Amino acid sequence: MSVKYIPVQWNSNKYIYDAVMLLGVALFLYIFLYAAPGLLSHERPINPQVHNARAFGACAFVMLTVILCIGPLARLDKRYLPLLYNRRHFGVMTVFVALTHAGYILDWYFAFSMSDKNEALLFANTSYGQLAGFPFEAFGIFSLFTLILLAATSHDFWMKFLSPPVWKRIHYLIYPAYLSVVAHVSFGILQDQQNHVFTVIFIGGAAAVGGLHLLAALHERRADQALSAEAADWVPVCDVSEMTEGFAKIRLLANGDRVAVYLNDGKLSAISNACAHQNGPLGEGRIIDCLVTCPWHGFQYDVTSGRSPAPFTEKVPTYNLKIEGTDVLVDPKANPPGTYVEPLIAPKAGGTA
Amino acid sequence: MSDKDTPFFVGYLPVPKGLRGLLLAVCVLFISGLAGFGLALGVAQDDPGEGAFRFDYGRQTVTGVVELTPYPLLRVTEGNERIPAGHTLMLAGGGKTNVERRAIPLEGQLARASGVLLQRGDLDMMQLRGGRNGLGPAEGVAPELPTEPLGRWKLAGEICDGKCLAGAMRPGRGLAHKACANLCLIGKVPPVFVSSQPVDGHEFLLITGPDGGHFPESAYHYVAQFVSLEGEVERRGDLLVLRIDPETLEVLD
Repeated sequence: MSVKYIPVQWNSNKYIYDAVMLLGVALFLYIFLYAAPGLLSHERPINPQVHNARAFGACAFVMLTVILCIGPLARLDKRYLPLLYNRRHFGVMTVFVALTHAGYILDWYFAFSMSDKNEALLFANTSYGQLAGFPFEAFGIFSLFTLILLAATSHDFWMKFLSPPVWKRIHYLIYPAYLSVVAHVSFGILQDQQNHVFTVIFIGGAAAVGGLHLLAALHERRADQALSAEAADWVPVCDVSEMTEGFAKIRLLANGDRVAVYLNDGKLSAISNACAHQNGPLGEGRIIDCLVTCPWHGFQYDVTSGRSPAPFTEKVPTYNLKIEGTDVLVDPKANPPGTYVEPLIAPKAGGTA
Repeated sequence: MSDKDTPFFVGYLPVPKGLRGLLLAVCVLFISGLAGFGLALGVAQDDPGEGAFRFDYGRQTVTGVVELTPYPLLRVTEGNERIPAGHTLMLAGGGKTNVERRAIPLEGQLARASGVLLQRGDLDMMQLRGGRNGLGPAEGVAPELPTEPLGRWKLAGEICDGKCLAGAMRPGRGLAHKACANLCLIGKVPPVFVSSQPVDGHEFLLITGPDGGHFPESAYHYVAQFVSLEGEVERRGDLLVLRIDPETLEVLD
């Protein structure tokens, strides 16, 4: 949560996250760059520039693959949500690794000619009309610029400035970028590789990303079917006896919005399920210190008003509730973000309000 | 929907006890996994072959007759222990540049070439030193050196830039190297055909255009692919020169 923008709001978990990430990346690069050459039985070594480019390129691919596995993994099993918490640092680090890869390529394969190396990158191979020999560098350029764009706009300032929906759409570009990386590798190094270890790791990584996303999509689809409600003036949510103190029930409304109905201190309140920060699922959070706490980044809201506690300024829409017998019903028309709604006293199971 | 039994992580709060074991395992798996991938990918790189700059030979200086195909050649008449008389050397400048400006005035004349050798098997090339130190006139009368036509051949193999192939880049061939090869050929570095079957005992042939010109622009799409082509082959000393017919270029599966 933020009331002013600073580069990074550090806390101990972020330090640990970044330390683990950096240690993993450093080990990958160290072993690839310094340990592997001694194990290769080549008569003469690979050019150091090519070796470095491969190390950083392979590392960027592995990092991007891990990053893209975190999202669906956390959707399938919420115990992995902590991996999501500081993922943007992982993404920014990936950009630096990818940039280093591009730098080595540019300064080696496209240098030493009479032409500017940046121009040479664009004109040296123009065989766009064929699959074999296709200028796979173009895929790499697209991915790199997309990753730079995503890293440059990853800060919360840009999310607030662009608005979360626009920001989110821009950041979905990670998927075309990853596909482009897959094409970059498929039309590039895979075409020449005789040793197929890289091929197996590459296909396995890309399949893991695709498979996990497919599983998560199926999982969410099933969950949405269970949560979806018919259009009505008042939409039934659940029986009050099904509710747990400090937790929510989620309903998917006919207009596609989700509403989270919370039981807090024996009273019922409803807010939008979408966190104002990154659309995190508020209904999958819980109440901590009387505030709904988002499971993604810990943004908090007063459940009666949808407002973050002062001095924070985030707001989400609220919803009106009514109780019929022990049935909880929600008005599908959302109130403007931050609108206070008097909470309803939850009837005791088997009784009335 | 959340439940009481699932530990709830909030980034700015201490990690719940119920998650610590799992997250520790994830950290160990992540770090060891990346280390493992680094090793597996690092040792899975193919051997780039034996081609290399032979700096270990030291600077080489030989004398011979300059010929233009139009790519400059030196038909060695006075060699040394590394480069014997009778050998034909392809000549290149530093980086992705050629030496035609220096070679054209010396065509058909005796010249002294000095530089560093690149060598891969029976393919070699000399990267000349700068200016007249690299290629300059030598005293004496240039002997008449024969060029022997070997007829029209149909060949299968790969079109490469001769300098990277000879060892300037390791690896220096293949589709991943295509843009670099094209850039060398644009710089008029001698192109070389790597034949899948020996041609008169040679695996490597210098390529020229159909009319004795440079490698044609239309053939750039075929660089670094496995192709078949036809052309006239001639022998200049111990080097075969292939004058390709671009119309016959065909990609092979």
